[in-house]
Order: sequence, then C-alpha cells, then structure tokens
Amino acid sequence: MSRESSSGAGVRVVDARLHLLSRQVLDVDGEPVTTVDDLELVAADARDDDAPRDAAPGEPAELGAILTGPVLVTRLLGGRPPASRWERVPWRDVGHVGTALELTVRADSLDVHWPEGWLREHVVGRIPGGRHDPEEAS
Amino acid sequence: MILGDLLDARVRGPGGEHLGTVVDVRLALETLRGDDPSPDDPDREARALSAQVRRRDRVGRARVVGILVSPRSGAPLLGYERTGVTAPWPVPQLVRRRHRGTFLVPWEDVAAVGPGEVRLAAGYRQEDAALP
Amino acid sequence: MKKLLGVALGILTAIGGFVDIGDLVTNAVVGSRFGLSLVWVVVVGVVGICLFASMSGRVAAVSGRATFEIIRERLGPRAAGANLAASFAINLLTLTAEVGGIALALHLASSVEPRLWIPVAALAVWLVLWRVKFEVMENVAGLLGLLLVGFGVALFLLGPDWGELVRQAVPPSPPATEHVATYWYYAVALFGAAMTPYEVFFFSSGAVEEGWTAKDLAQNRVNVLVGFPLGGLLSVAIAACAAVVLLPAGIEVSSLSQIVLPVAQAGGTLLLAVVIVGIVAATFGAALETALSSGYTLAQYLGWSWGKFRRPARAARFHLTMVVALLLAVGILMTSVDPVTVTEMSVVFSAVALPLTYVPILLVANDPEYMGEHVNGRVTNALGMVYLVIVVVAAVAAIPLMIATGAGS
Repeated sequence: MSRESSSGAGVRVVDARLHLLSRQVLDVDGEPVTTVDDLELVAADARDDDAPRDAAPGEPAELGAILTGPVLVTRLLGGRPPASRWERVPWRDVGHVGTALELTVRADSLDVHWPEGWLREHVVGRIPGGRHDPEEAS
Repeated sequence: MILGDLLDARVRGPGGEHLGTVVDVRLALETLRGDDPSPDDPDREARALSAQVRRRDRVGRARVVGILVSPRSGAPLLGYERTGVTAPWPVPQLVRRRHRGTFLVPWEDVAAVGPGEVRLAAGYRQEDAALP
Repeated sequence: MKKLLGVALGILTAIGGFVDIGDLVTNAVVGSRFGLSLVWVVVVGVVGICLFASMSGRVAAVSGRATFEIIRERLGPRAAGANLAASFAINLLTLTAEVGGIALALHLASSVEPRLWIPVAALAVWLVLWRVKFEVMENVAGLLGLLLVGFGVALFLLGPDWGELVRQAVPPSPPATEHVATYWYYAVALFGAAMTPYEVFFFSSGAVEEGWTAKDLAQNRVNVLVGFPLGGLLSVAIAACAAVVLLPAGIEVSSLSQIVLPVAQAGGTLLLAVVIVGIVAATFGAALETALSSGYTLAQYLGWSWGKFRRPARAARFHLTMVVALLLAVGILMTSVDPVTVTEMSVVFSAVALPLTYVPILLVANDPEYMGEHVNGRVTNALGMVYLVIVVVAAVAAIPLMIATGAGS
C-alpha cells in the first residue's frame, strides 16, 4: 500500500452500482471514452508492477480495472466472457470520480479506444471535411 | 472476479439458509491530496456545483468493504434505502419501504462466491447499510 | 443590448423549432375532424414539454450529463438498453417522417415528384450535420421555422366565427359524429406530438454542445417558458385553420396539400409560399434534431465520443450512426410508404416510450449528488408527479386505443 501511506488524505465510501457502474468515462481532455460496463476485482496485496491476482472471497480485495466491450453483452444477456476478452482500463488511470469518471490519460493511449480509432483512420477521417473543426469559421 | 459475479447473486448463510440478494458492493476510495486539473477554467465554479462534482480530490485505490444484501430482489434500487433523499415524493419512500432490512456484510465475512450465489462465513456480521 | 438580442434569438428559435411534422400533421388532422375540441391537450402537452425540457436542460447544465447518460446510469444496462432500442426505433420513425415532410413540402413548391426530393433532402441534412456549426444550424432552422406564423395570419384572413371556435374548445365538445375512443386516441397522439422524447435528447445534448453552465439556467428557463408556449400557439393556429376550412367541408387530412389548403384559400400564393418555406425549415430543423438524437442516444448509452462541437473524426462512431440512420430513413421512404402515416405512427409510439425517458430525468433532477443546490423545488416536483401520472396513463392507453380505433380510422 505504498500510495496510501504517501497520501495521508481521507477515504470516500461509494457503492459500486450506485456511483460507478454505467457511468461515463472521460479522458484527461474530457473526451468520452466508454462507460463502466463492469469492474474487475483483484487481490489487494499486489504491487503496481506485478501482474494482479484475482480477488478471493474474504481476502483483501480492490478494484483492478474498468471493464467494457464484451462484458456489456454478457451483462445484458447473462453469462460472462472469458478473461482474455475483457477490455480493460486500469483503475490506476482513474483520476476523479464525480458524475463521470475522469481518467488521467488520453483516450488514444488506451486499448479500449481501438474501434473509434479504426473508424477515424479508415472511414470518417477520410471523408472530406472529416477533420474540420466545426467551431472554426469554415 | 468481476462485479457482475456478485451483483444479483443469491446470498446464503453458513448453514445454506437464504438471506437475500446482493444489491451492491461497497468500496472505500482512497482520496489523495486534491489537485486541480483545470485551474484556468473560468467557469469552474459554475460548472462544479454539487459537492460531489466539486470534490476534485484524486482517487487512489478502491478497497472492497463489503456486500450489500437486500432481503428482497428485483427492481432497480436507485439507492434510496442508503441515502437521505426524500424527493420526489413518494418514490424514495416507496423504494425505502420495499428494501427495508438491507444490510452490509463485511468482505471478510464472505466465504465463497460461486455462479449466481454468495455464501457467508459462520458468525458473519450484519452492519448498517446507510451511506455516510 | 447584446444580451437582450441573445434572449430574443433564443426565444424566437424556440418558437420556430417547436413545430415539426408531427405537430403539423396531428394538429391538422385533429382540427379537420374534431374542431378545436382537443386544444386542451395541446395546452397539457406544452406545459409538459416546458417542464420536461427545462428539467433535462438543468440537469445537463449543472451535472454535465446529457439525458441518455442519465438513463443508462439510473436504469442500468438492461432497462436502459430496452429503452435505447425503443427510443432509437421511434427516433428513426420520426426522422423518416421529417425527411418525408421536407420532400413533400418541396414537392408542393416545385411539382417535382417527392421521391426525387428524398435523397436530396437527406443529403442536405447530412451536409449540415457534417459541416455547419451547432449554433448556426439551430438559429437558421428556428428563425425560418417562424414563417409558420403564416397559419396564424391565414386564420385571421379567414375571418372565422371566433365564438364558435371558443365554444368547440371550452368546454371540449367533440363532434357527435366521432366515436369517443377515437377522440381519446387523437388526444394521446396530440400529446405525443407535443412531448416527443427526441426533443429532450436533443435539448439536453444541445446544452452540452453549447457548453451551458449554471449561469445559463435563467436564459434556458426563459427560452423554454416563453418560446414553447408561443410555439404551441402555432400548433393551435394550424388546428384552427383546419377546423375553419376543412371540418365544414368534410375533408379529412391525408396529405400535406390538404394541410396548407386553408392557407392558400385565405392568403393566396404569396402566403402559401411563405408557409411552405416555413414547413421546409421546420421539418428540416426537426430532421437535424432527430438525426442528431439517434447519434446522441446510442453514443451516450455506450459511452462513445459524441457532439457536433468536435471534429467529425474525433466523434467517428457518432457521425457514422447519424449517416446510417439517414440511410435507413431514405430506405424506408423509398418503399413508397406514406410519410403522413409514418408521422401518425411516430407520435403515438412517442407517447408509449415517454415514461422511460421522463422518469430517470425526474429522479436525477432530485438527486443532490448530481444537482447540488439546483435540485427540483416543491412546485416543480408537484407538477412533475402530476405529469408522471399523465405520461404513464397516456403510454398505457396508447396501444389499446390504437387497436380499438384501427389507428383512428
């Protein structure tokens, strides 16, 4: 718990479904990235540099990552996707929790950003005017 | 483990007796020294009005505190049984009434998590579900 | 002075933007069949949309969250997903009706077949969505939509028996020839036309597009509370024109040319031209709003980047959604379905879906974690609960009434 000792600040109690699930995730510039479709729980003793261990019942646990993508489909229809198909935003990239979750990194740097990035490069960005800033005089 | 494994799971006591459903998972967010990400935003005060929005503390790790168990299942909860919100009458009052008896079980007292079911350890504690 | 101009512009665009193809068709149909005996529904609908729009605008301005983000957060993925499916389908139906409306109005003006106008109209809508700044788009469509005031002018030129019109309206006295179920069916349709959910998706997302903060709340309130009722007055003028000319002649409205017949009769070609420009602007504006709403709802549910204020490439999936919605609308219209029928369907289904959007907004507008000191006051909440009942009753009654009356025939 290296970060906890260095912070010296307080603790804020939230309920996951009430305050985190289905909230909008914004990147450091305020651009929407995804929604919180599910959350991954990991064992709390892992250090930042280790590969996180899965949480076990009754043993100290913490949030490891925001999950999105296929987990939404299974939350709608039931079941759960294999861990290899989870699309993660690491919890350590979360900066603020308000009416939306604000990240400390840019959307482009995240793995979950690929569908938007792909469409930008291959479709929408290629249409004339696709990179035009609407707030500027045209 | 993902949160979806816990939410809406049936909760059984150590002897297998049915206690209710997991309606939420309580977390303790570490708040680090507050830093201001956009000090040059002139509308910041107007933009961030409610205490929750205005709270600009950076969050750190999010520790699992426990699971919230309601004796009743179903129906989106909206959290009224855990907060003091009273408007618009009579919605919070009705939800609160329906989910009376919701309690918090500390995470240490959760013995096993299986498909659609959570089993509590012997001598599990039932704590007040209200949000501070 | 500049501030005053801003207020005036806001009000004027709210008036001009109020009427869309749904209001136009439903009011004319109702006027031609029931006279002014359903005017009270317009009043109920206008008060409702004022309440609903100002609440969603306030939530967006204070919390920064648009309506479908709120719906997803409050209802969870499953119920919100069902809501999304319903809202998206109804929105598509409305978009289809609006694009069809543009084509019909251009057909009236040009006598070129509507089917040739449909792709042109859709392309024009897309170009505006792709290129034009949000504020410019909203203001131009709203101001030109004001030309619908021609219906009011026509009403005065017709020189109706005002006493008779008032007698139809208060107390509401439906013609003896109509069945009571049909009367209530059209009451629901008229209510749905005034309180379409897309207006709220658009209004709240527009607040985010324009970067509203709590400082803009007063302006928001004035726009809504002055602009929408005056827009509602335009709706009543459309119904009254139909009640004066079409009802006595026994003409049941089934096409746009019948809707503008009273205008042509009262004011000749000039007034007709003015009103047709107004209809093109109003349907075009509403086509923009519904196309945007299809993007807003899907993007906000899934957390995609959205907004016209971003470069299209930085909201790629949002822009692609709107293109797909427009193509679907064109596809539906090309099957030579009657846009007037599509419109009538869309307003009734709007009434059915309304509670799904209304309830989350009402709840969040009361949540201090979102709204701080700007939570609903007692009066707003009292009115809000009255409308909750009305909205639910209309939604529950819509489908049975539709079946019982054979969709009002």
